[in-house]
Formats: sequence, C-alpha cells, structure tokens
Amino acid sequence: MSGLVELRLGFIPLTDCAPIVAAKALGFFEEEGLDVTLSREVSWATIRDKVTVGALDGAHMLAPMALASTLGAGGGEAVPMIAPLALNLNGSAVTVSVALAKMLRDIDPEGMAQNPITARPLARLIERRRVRGEAQLTFAVVFTYSMHAYALRYWMAEAGIDPDRDVRLVVTPPPRMVEQLQSGGVDGFCVGAPWNAVAVQESLGEVLIRASEFWPGSPDKVFGLKADWAQAYPDEVRALLRALIRASIWADDPVNRPELIDLLARPEHVGASAEAIGRALENEITFHAGAAGRPRREHALWFLSQMARWGQIGFKADFDAVADAVYRPDLFRAAAASLGPVLDATLVFEDAATTPSAALFDGIAFDPTDVAAYASRFSINRLTL
Amino acid sequence: MRVLVIDPDPARAALVAEGLEGIKPLEVRQAATFDEREVVEFAPDVVVIASDSPDRDTLESLREASHNNPRPVVMFVDRSEPGLAEQAVRAGVAAYIVDGLAPSRVRPILDVAMSRFALTQQLRGDLAKAKADLESRKTVERAKGLLMKERGLDEDGAYRLLRKLAMDKGRPIGAIAADLLAFAGILRGDAS
Repeated sequence: MSGLVELRLGFIPLTDCAPIVAAKALGFFEEEGLDVTLSREVSWATIRDKVTVGALDGAHMLAPMALASTLGAGGGEAVPMIAPLALNLNGSAVTVSVALAKMLRDIDPEGMAQNPITARPLARLIERRRVRGEAQLTFAVVFTYSMHAYALRYWMAEAGIDPDRDVRLVVTPPPRMVEQLQSGGVDGFCVGAPWNAVAVQESLGEVLIRASEFWPGSPDKVFGLKADWAQAYPDEVRALLRALIRASIWADDPVNRPELIDLLARPEHVGASAEAIGRALENEITFHAGAAGRPRREHALWFLSQMARWGQIGFKADFDAVADAVYRPDLFRAAAASLGPVLDATLVFEDAATTPSAALFDGIAFDPTDVAAYASRFSINRLTL
Repeated sequence: MRVLVIDPDPARAALVAEGLEGIKPLEVRQAATFDEREVVEFAPDVVVIASDSPDRDTLESLREASHNNPRPVVMFVDRSEPGLAEQAVRAGVAAYIVDGLAPSRVRPILDVAMSRFALTQQLRGDLAKAKADLESRKTVERAKGLLMKERGLDEDGAYRLLRKLAMDKGRPIGAIAADLLAFAGILRGDAS
C-alpha cells in the first residue's frame, strides 16, 4: 500500500510509447501521486478492449482508433474515448522489400529518384503485372483505423492505385512486419518506428516515404482514455497528463537520447536494437517541441475525412462534433498550465501555436472547415452516406 | 459447429480444445498463429483467440475486408449478457463469431475458454510455488549444514535453532536460512 493512486496503462512495443515508458521509469507518475503499472500489449484490439472494460485506465493508442471506438465504426460497440494528449508526431514510413524496390527502379528510374518518392513507379509496376496476369502485391498496415492505413491508402491513390482493388491490403502486428517482409508474406508495409529502420538495417527493405515527407508534422499516436472514466477522475487525468508532458519534454531533449534509447531497447519495452530505435529519434519523431503534444482538432478532422473517404463512416457525419468530443486540447492546456511557470506559451494559449501545415506531399491542402468537400474531392474513394 | 482456437501458448490451447470437446457437436482446431488460408479452409463458426496473440488485429481486420474472405468474422459483443465481454477481456480471451450465429451459442465456448485460461494460470502459479518450496527446502538443508559445522550442533539441534529464529523474527524458516547463508557468505568475504 503506497498511498498512491494505482493505475494501469497499456502500450504497444513501438518507439512512440516513449512518453509513457519514460514517465514511469523517471518517477514522474509517482511524483504526481500515481502508482502506475505498465502493461505491454501485443495488439491494438486488446488495448481497445481493455480500456473499454476498465482493465486498463489509459493507453498508447492509434489516434483514429479513439475516433473509431467513439463512433462504433466497423460494427463494433460505440465506446466514447478521449485523446487529451498527442504522444508524438511523425515516425511511420512506407517500406518495400528490396526485391520490390529493385523492380520499381527498373520500371521507373526517374520516379524512384524523386524525393519524396510517389507511388507512380508502383502504379506502373502494378499495371504491368496486371497485363501479364501476375499476382497482386500485398501491403500491410498495423490496424484498419490507423495513420498508417490512411497514409498508405492516400499515397497509393494519389498515383491512381486503388488500395482496395489493385493491391492486397492486410493487417499485421508491428513487431511481425519485418519477418513478413523477409518471408515474402508482404511486399511492403506502412508501420511506425522502429520497424522501418529494422527492415533497412537488416537489408530487407527500403523506405520510400516517411511520415514527415508525407505530411510535415504527421499526427500519429495519442494517449487515450475512456470518456466516462476521464469524467469521473479529473484529478487523475490531470496528474497523468502532467507526468506525460514532463516525460515528452525529457524524451525530446537530445541530452537524454542515449538514456531513452537504452530504456526503449529493453525487452520489456520495445525490444529492438538501439541503433534502429535511435534512427527515427534522430530526425523524425517529435514528442513535445512545437506543441506536438497538443491534440489538434485539424488532425482529428483529417482522420475523419479519411474514414469517410474509405467508407468506414458516412460522409455526412457530424465531423466537428466527433472531433471536439474526442480530441481534448482543453485538458492538455489545463495540465500544461498547472505545471507551474508557463512552460511554453504555445502549450497554454490556444492561439499562440502555429497552425499545423495544411498541405500534404501532393500539395493538396486539407481544409478543416469543410471536411465533407475535402473527403469527396478524391477520385478514388468509397464514399457512403 | 466449428471452433478455431488461436493461442501462442500450446499447452493452454490444448487445455481449451480438450474442454471444448465436451460440448457437442463440435469440431475443434488449434493453431499457434493465424493463417488466413487455414481460416478460409476450415471455415470456423467461432474463433477463440488469446489476447496475448499478436494476430488479433489481423483477424479483426477480416471484418473490414470481407470481399477477400468468404467467412466474415465479427467481434462478439453480447449485449444481452452484461459483464460477459468484460469477464472475457479480463481473462485474456477474445471471441469472434461468423455473422449470423446466435451469440447464445458462444456462451458455453467462452465459458470453457475462460475457465481453462484461469486453470492454466493457476497451474503455472502452483508450479512456481512448488519450485520455490523446493528451493526453500534446499536452503534450509544448507543452513542446517552450516550451523552443524560452525556451532557443532547435531542435525536436530540445527533445525531447532533455525525454527526458533524464524519464530522470534516472525518470518518463514526458508527466509531465515537464506539470510544466514548470505551473512555467512559476507563474513567469508563473498560480497567484496
């Protein structure tokens, strides 16, 4: 009996679990009066279910998962969740096998020399394979409702590839991506750090486009909680957010990087090589800087636009209401402001932070004021009412 | 009815499969990992999957991609029995049923899976305890030997001394024996 509030938080072995793991290891949770037990989970569905039934009080979550759960997308039970903090920006990438990279280079050397690489070389290869009657290529994402799924779909569709018809799209857990690439089970994937770097390091894969190139400041994971739990325990939520904000600041600081890498590399956390973990931390992932931790409603709305585009939700849904119910920058700001002397004006004042970059890699700007129009502007879509 | 049990723990999967054989009519198969071809070929009515299987997300994605799969699977949420889904999640079991199957038919399957998961956990706990007991008995033997040598006691006297120390300190005799051995080690200079 420590006299502290006992809480259980779940995470998936990925680099962006860093704020949660660091807040525990550095004693930030304890300093906030919380006795946190971490639970390493191996599937997002289990994270969602455990948060739903209260076996976990909060968790590392795919941002779209919090939205999908709230909406009951895919025929599941609608369980309102909130995302009062973004754990990171960037970190994921599209990686293809070295064999596929070679085929792409053979068919379209100019396209493969571009930066960032679009899916045009892939589109040409797919067309040739279709003409020759060859098997469809298989691509993996980590979950149906994930930045990875939407980024891969968007990137493919931009080059005229229909991700539902022209390739086989499957779901594979992150730690298994690399072995799937090696065995030929998949030809490419979109996954978070460190698994792209692991594939490159083992000479099995080649990165075509990183999240930071796809959309500078790409949204990714959030800290998710069940809405009714958060409402019942506001003090605990604030304490959790304070500890996580402090841990994010710590994790961003290059001085602490060796210690962070060491912490993440442990088998009970991510369990990957220090070198692979270090790579995305070097110049990709941001945990805190530039108000990265603030959950941005623009991000929620972009996810909703993609859920609508691919027919996961109706395109006449009330996007603003859902975004504001799930994304809770107000809770983030209150926690940041309570951390004493104002850390950073951009954290506390709504209008102090710059608005996120609107344009994706194709130059098309996302307009958060008209999500339905944005969702329906793409010729490849599965829009439903 | 066909049931597929996916569990990376083969011993536990065997226990679940064995338990399910009691519910008829059933055909039960177990697998360590999810294999789409196997699922399509076996065409299970129910899939019971351990939450510590990383294949859960793959399995769950089949409901989104039904055009690839003749047997769409949906998550089992039986609203008519509040608490059941919660119980299953806490026990570490998830179940998926083929669309159209009455949830009531899944109840006995889920009950078997949950009880067998609990049984596995208990057996593992018992095994760990048995190992610890054996370890403690060995420690007591060694501490007795030390006392016999250092204090010139006979075996019975050495044991009585350990038991008295344990009673005085209110701690298990194994712990007292371990302390004694550790301190003897320090006095010999083992820790330096």
